[in-house]
Amino acid sequence: MGMFKTTEEFEKVIVGFFQLVGNTPIIADKLLESKMVIRFTYTDPDLVVVVDCAGEKTEVRPHDTETKAVVEMTMSSDIAHRFWFGMVNLTKALTRKEMVAKGPIPKVLKLLPAIKPSYAMYPQYLDANGFGQYNITKAYTPPTA
Amino acid sequence: MGGYAGQILYVNLTSGAIEKKPLDMDFARKHIGGLGFGATIYLDLIKNHPVDFDPLSELNPFVLMTGPLTGMKMNGVARWTVCSKSPLTGFYGDSNVGGFFGAQLKFAGYDGIVITGKAAVPSYLYINDDIVEIRTAEPYWGKDVYTVTDALKEDLKEGQKSGQALVIGPAGERMVKFASIINNKGHAAGRTGMGAVWGSKQLKAIYVNGTGKIKIAKPEALDELRAELKELYADSIGIMALHSAGTATHMDVGIIGGDIPIKNWQQTEWDDIDDIGPTVIEEKIFAGHKTCFGCGVACKKSAEVKEGPFQMEKGPGPEYETIATFGSMCLNSNIESIAKANEICNRYGMDTITCGSTIAFAIECFENGLITEKDTDGLRLTWGNSDAIVKMTEKIGKQEGFGAILSLGSAKAADHIGGIARDFLTTVKGLEAPMHDPRSAHGYGLAYAVSPRGACHEASLTFEAEGGLIFIPEIPELSADLPEGSEDRAQLNVACQDYGMFFSNCAIFCNLGGSPLNATQAIDMVNHVTGFDYTLDEILKIGRRLWYLKRGLTNLFGARAKDDRLPNRLMTVLEAGPTEGSVPDMDRMLAEFYELRGFNAEGVPEKQILESVGLPELAGLLHL
Repeated sequence: MGMFKTTEEFEKVIVGFFQLVGNTPIIADKLLESKMVIRFTYTDPDLVVVVDCAGEKTEVRPHDTETKAVVEMTMSSDIAHRFWFGMVNLTKALTRKEMVAKGPIPKVLKLLPAIKPSYAMYPQYLDANGFGQYNITKAYTPPTA
Repeated sequence: MGGYAGQILYVNLTSGAIEKKPLDMDFARKHIGGLGFGATIYLDLIKNHPVDFDPLSELNPFVLMTGPLTGMKMNGVARWTVCSKSPLTGFYGDSNVGGFFGAQLKFAGYDGIVITGKAAVPSYLYINDDIVEIRTAEPYWGKDVYTVTDALKEDLKEGQKSGQALVIGPAGERMVKFASIINNKGHAAGRTGMGAVWGSKQLKAIYVNGTGKIKIAKPEALDELRAELKELYADSIGIMALHSAGTATHMDVGIIGGDIPIKNWQQTEWDDIDDIGPTVIEEKIFAGHKTCFGCGVACKKSAEVKEGPFQMEKGPGPEYETIATFGSMCLNSNIESIAKANEICNRYGMDTITCGSTIAFAIECFENGLITEKDTDGLRLTWGNSDAIVKMTEKIGKQEGFGAILSLGSAKAADHIGGIARDFLTTVKGLEAPMHDPRSAHGYGLAYAVSPRGACHEASLTFEAEGGLIFIPEIPELSADLPEGSEDRAQLNVACQDYGMFFSNCAIFCNLGGSPLNATQAIDMVNHVTGFDYTLDEILKIGRRLWYLKRGLTNLFGARAKDDRLPNRLMTVLEAGPTEGSVPDMDRMLAEFYELRGFNAEGVPEKQILESVGLPELAGLLHL
């Protein structure tokens, strides 16, 4: 069992974060320039999310298994979670198939500089949206009644 | 038997004697090739003489060796090796290089060349299959690598076919301590100053033209393996990234975890980092893909700067290490200037890691008032001053003014500058550290500390294993999921040294182009080509023996435990960034490593250890 116990909980966290990233101009502008459509297939718990940058604004669509994606990325929810903290050794994760990517990989790698600001945003987003228990950069203090 | 050309060429530049000796196949089986041959032959040549000879004297032999796979049309096997006593460090030095020279040498019928003595006049070695001659290099002496490479190919071509030239530039002639030897203008045997050894021997170049072929012992089995590997390579994201953007890809990936040194290792974050990353490289300087012999990975990139102060003609582009040393290390965000500095290093024949790191060191000295514009011939060596960085690179190549001081390397320059200059050093055993921060992966710290040639990320496979580029399921230490920190890094380093000596020193796989291979595939490839029947256990034993041999050579030249330390700069805790608060526990790792390797307190392998791995002569020399 990973850090997230249910699909619903992971969906709330990751979809909300993707929407935040998609609405942050410094990142979104570069994502939209790429015209990339990426499908993330997560395991443990299972979830599919499409991030569609092909239009005028970034769209985040959970459970979208129909759209033809340019890039397909598969990983566990824990790896995804740690990635957005900047804590995943990307080279190792790809070599060891902890992350599997299909599609024009060089184009995906070119997005790494664009999403760099999101590593600092993720823990702040978790804290600000009631997901503080998932913020692994600090000791968690449960909210008092 | 297959894979080998079958002869080793011995050239005495003092007497002019040239001898072709048949390769003993028992020797080949025992040492595989590359530095397995090179370091063994080198020890044999120096063992009966006092070892305190000047690396720039005629007493210092130079050994160039290919491996059994060099010349095969396969990914990641074009490489060959050189070794000698290093003019930069004073210890054992070696270098590993790709390109086309090694393949051509084997087609001419030689597995390697052993050079001794010193020529009376500037000379080059001419090899055209069976014809081997020492010729005058007067027309080429004083000229840069690009000019001489083109001239030799033009002057010596037969019909439309040119051979391969291996050349030193003016830096090598002047014995700049980190001079390199360069094939095809951009494939450099860069580290540890082997070009200065050539300069001291008045050897300007080796030109080789070969028309032979290398036999494959089991061609059907090799074809089957090739088919299997074709799919493996097609699916490898690392290979895709290397093909697309080359090693510069690491600018985007390495910055996430704090691997890229910035401002002479004082920080791991920098707002301008993307200005020297692969996207900007593609926009501003990219001019095409290049490769080594027979390799489809094609990780090399050409560069061109069409106008402006850093204009340069199309030629080899800067790789990751060069981009970092002349870029992030100097807070220089001008990619054209980095391409220009790279071109100057190639033309003069200088190692870009040492050169760029030495300039970053000098900038810090300047910023701290240890040197002024009076010392630097009017150049304002300040952070990010791309114009001054490029000009200083050229002054180093010419040994002009302050460039002559920096041409000694940063460690000796620090002695000259004095004051707190040594605090800014990033050297181990006198060799400047490569652009991978041990605070992001502690095992690198131990790898740098105990590497026989000084701080180096390619002296074993620790960088590839801990960094995640390779995964070797047959070897537990190279497939373990290690916790963060320094735990188990001594075991990791030992395994990476033993397997690495086989992989990239003896069989001479490219650490990048060969990265998708597991041990079974790598060993099978060597077996199918040579006809030998190596097992994993046997290649690890051979690798272990070579590692002790290289370590012993460095010990023989005086290295001791005090030389196995990281400089303070690399051990300084950073207060921000991905590696915040992290430094390698060197005391723990070194103690564990010394125990595992059977070193005494002085850092010398115990006599019985050396005897047990098959190095009794070395044991006798180190334990009189």
